[in-house]
Amino acid sequence: MEKASHLSVIVDLSPTQWHLSAQADNQYPLSIQTFLSQLLAFLNAHIASQHENTLAVFGALPGKSVMLYSSTEVLADDAAAPDANSYPPFKAVDSTVVQRMMYEFDAFKDVEEEAPCALVGALAKALCYINRITHPSTSPGGAAEDPSILPDPRILILSVSPDLSSSYIPIMNSIFSAQKLKVTIDVCKIYGPDTVFLQQAAHLTNGSYIYLERRDALLQYLIMSFLSPPAIRKVLAVPKQDKIDFRAACFCHKNIVDVGFVCSVCLSIFCQPVPVCSTCRTKFPIKTLQRLNASRPSLAPTSSRNTLPLANLNNATPRPTPPRNVNGGTPGLR
Amino acid sequence: MPSVQSPQAVDPPASHSNPHALLPFLRSQSQNTLTRLYQRPSSCLSIYRLLGPLERQLVMNLLWLESAIPVNTMAVWVVPEGKKLYDDALAVMTGLHILQNSTVKLALNPTFKSSLRQAITGGGSTGSFGVPAEKDDKRQPGGIEVLDAYALERWETILHYMVSSGQGQLPTKPSQGVLYLLQRSELMKANHGATLQITSSGFQFLLHSPHDQLWDLLLQYLHMAEERQMDLVEVLSFLFMLSTMELGREYSTDPLSETQKVLLEDLRDYGLVWQRKASSKRFSPTRLATTLTSLSPSLPTSSSTGGSRVGATTSAIGVAASTAQQGFIVLETNYRVYAYTDNPLQTAVLNLFITMKYRFPNLVVGMLTRESVRKALANGISAEQIISYLSTHAHPQMRKNNPLLPVTVQDQIRLWELERNRLKSAEGYLYRDFASQADYMYVLEYAKQLDVVLWENGAKRCFFGSLEGHANVRGFIERRTGGG
Repeated sequence: MEKASHLSVIVDLSPTQWHLSAQADNQYPLSIQTFLSQLLAFLNAHIASQHENTLAVFGALPGKSVMLYSSTEVLADDAAAPDANSYPPFKAVDSTVVQRMMYEFDAFKDVEEEAPCALVGALAKALCYINRITHPSTSPGGAAEDPSILPDPRILILSVSPDLSSSYIPIMNSIFSAQKLKVTIDVCKIYGPDTVFLQQAAHLTNGSYIYLERRDALLQYLIMSFLSPPAIRKVLAVPKQDKIDFRAACFCHKNIVDVGFVCSVCLSIFCQPVPVCSTCRTKFPIKTLQRLNASRPSLAPTSSRNTLPLANLNNATPRPTPPRNVNGGTPGLR
Repeated sequence: MPSVQSPQAVDPPASHSNPHALLPFLRSQSQNTLTRLYQRPSSCLSIYRLLGPLERQLVMNLLWLESAIPVNTMAVWVVPEGKKLYDDALAVMTGLHILQNSTVKLALNPTFKSSLRQAITGGGSTGSFGVPAEKDDKRQPGGIEVLDAYALERWETILHYMVSSGQGQLPTKPSQGVLYLLQRSELMKANHGATLQITSSGFQFLLHSPHDQLWDLLLQYLHMAEERQMDLVEVLSFLFMLSTMELGREYSTDPLSETQKVLLEDLRDYGLVWQRKASSKRFSPTRLATTLTSLSPSLPTSSSTGGSRVGATTSAIGVAASTAQQGFIVLETNYRVYAYTDNPLQTAVLNLFITMKYRFPNLVVGMLTRESVRKALANGISAEQIISYLSTHAHPQMRKNNPLLPVTVQDQIRLWELERNRLKSAEGYLYRDFASQADYMYVLEYAKQLDVVLWENGAKRCFFGSLEGHANVRGFIERRTGGG
C-alpha cells in the first residue's frame, strides 16, 4: 500500500509585504484574502488525497513564528458546528488556520515598527515537528513503528519577504537538518525578488523553487508543482530551477558576497581578509593577509563577480573556479 | 526450491499498487449512473480517494481549470519512463467517466468537477456529508468506545460463525441478511440440509485484512442490490457518505430515502452503523464505516500513525482492543507458535493451520506441523496466505528480526504446499504397439512438432499425447498406414 505523506506549510505573513503585494500597480495584485482562500483549497486538496495524510501549518510573523494548525494536535476550541455540506476535516483546517491567523494579526495592531519576519524560526519549528512525528519512539508513549508506514515528509515555504542576510547561517543549518531527515523543501516565491537562500534550500533538499509569475493562477501553480509526493514526481515532472544562485553570506557582516575569503581550517566565510578567524581562532600569516589585501577588488564587488573566486586565506593563489561553484554544500558552518 | 522472499519485498511501489476492488465495479456501470453518482460531493471525494496516487494528482491538476487543455500540454509534464503509468492512469479515469472521452483535449466530467470543487471548498446545499442530528439533551450519544465495541462484536460474530462452521459447532448466528450474503458470495455453502459450511474461498477470506473483507462483502451486497432493484446510486452514495462522516457523531435519518433506510438496517447487521434502537431517528457510523475509503491497511498491526488526529480515526478496525492492535504472534524456528491473545476468533483462525498444544488465559501455544498445514492447504488456503497472516500479525518483538519470520519455517510451509502438487493429471491418449522403431520415431517427431507429447518411453515404444493433439496424430498415423 502507498504511504501517507506529511506536508508542513510555512506561510510568510509579513504585513508590509502583503500590503505591497496587494497594491493595484502590480501586474497581478494578490491580496492576502485571495491568497488565503487559495491556500485553504490547496491544504484541503492535500488532506483529500489520502485519509492518512498529515498536515501542519506554520506562520512566520514579524519577530515570531507560530504553529497555525497541525493534524496531530487536539483542538482546544472545537466549537465548529458540524455542517451537512462540508467534510469535517476540511472545515477543521479552514477554521483553525483562519482563526489563529486573525488572532496573530490582531496582536500586531499596536506595534509601531515591524521586526523582520521569523522565517527561520518557522522552518526550525517545522523540522522539529517532522522529527517528532517521524521518530515517535523518542516521544513519550510512542510505540516503535514500522518504517514503511512513516509519512513522507515535505516542507513548503510560501515566501513574500526578501532575503534576510543575517539568517544565512541558521537557514543553512536548517537545510542540513532537512537533508539528514530526508525532508524535501519546496519554495514558492509569491512576491518580491528571488531569495538566494531559499533557492539553495530547495536545490539542496531536492525540492523545487518556483517564482510565481502569474500570481492570479496561484492555486494551479501550487497544485501542479507542490501537491505531488516525491513518488509521483518520478512520473509527473515538477519544474526545477536551472540557475541557482549559490552565493553565501559572510560570517562577519552577514552580507551576501560574490567574492569571499574562506578560513582554511573551518571554512568560515569572510567578506574581507581577517588576521584571526572569528570562528575557530586560527591565526593567519601576516604575509598572506597583505597579499590578499593587495589582490582584493577595491571597488564595487558586484562588477567583479566573474573574475575572482573565493580566495583561501592561507594559500592566496587564486584558482580559476567559476563563482557559481562556491561548493554546493558550504560545509563546516557551525 | 522455493526462493526465500523477505516480507518487505511484498510491498509494491506506490505507483503500482493494486487498484481498489470497487473500481472495476464502478467501471461496469453506465455513464448515466456514474454521472448521477457524481452529483454528490461526498461521493466524488470518496471515489477520488479510491483512485491511485497518479490519477489523484491528474484529477487535481485538471480540477481548477476552466477550459479543456490539449493532450500535448499535459504530456509535457510526464517523464519518459513514466509514460506507460501515465497512459494507464488516463485510461482508468476515462473508464470511470471522470475524464471526458476525447483524444485531443483533456477535461474532467463537468459534474464530477463541480462536485469535487464543492467538496474541497465546502458550501452548497446538497447535504451529502450527512445531516447531523439535533443535540439530544436527555441522552448522551454513544461514545467512540461503544461504537468500536459494537462494530467489533458484529464483525467478529460473522467471522466466528464462518470459522466454527468448519468444525461442526455453531455459535451465535448472525442475522438472516448476513447469512444470505455469505451464501451468495460463496464464502459459505449449504451442506446437505440447512447447515452452512465454510468453503475454500471462505477460508481464504478469513485470512484477509478486515478492510478487504469488508469490501468483499460490500461488493457482493452491491451486486445483490442490483438484483433487488435497489437504486445503485443511492446505495453507493450512502456508503460514500458514511465514509466521510465523523466517528462518534450522531446523524439524522430524516433526509434518507426509503432505499437508504433499508440499507441502514442491513449495514447495522454488519456493524457499520450503530443505532440505539431499530426505530431510532439517529444513527452513528462506526469505525468500519469511517475507514471505508482509507487506503491504509486496516490491519490491527498498523495502528494510528503517531497518534495523529486524522490518524486516530483511521487506526485499525481492531480485531480486538488496543492490545491486539499490535501483533500478537511469535513464531520460533522450531515451528512453535505463541499467540498472545484471549480472542476466541483469533484462536479459531490460528486453529486453521496450527496444532494447538496449550491454552492459557492470555496465551495460546501451538505447533506448525505437517498435518496442520496440510489440513489448511486441503481447505484451500495457500502457503502464501499462511505466511502473510503470520507476518502481518507478528508480535512487536518479532519485528526486530530480519527477515520477520524464520526462513526455515517459511520455506517448510512452501515445501509442504509443493508436496501436494507432486502429481499432475492430464487427459490424453496413449500410443503404443508401434510396428517398428522407425515408425515410432516418425510419429513421435510429428507429435513433438505439434507440442502435444506429455510423456514418452523409447524402450517400450509408446508415448502419451494430450487430448487436443489426438485428432491430428491419429490422422497422421492413418494417413501413413493407409498410404503405406
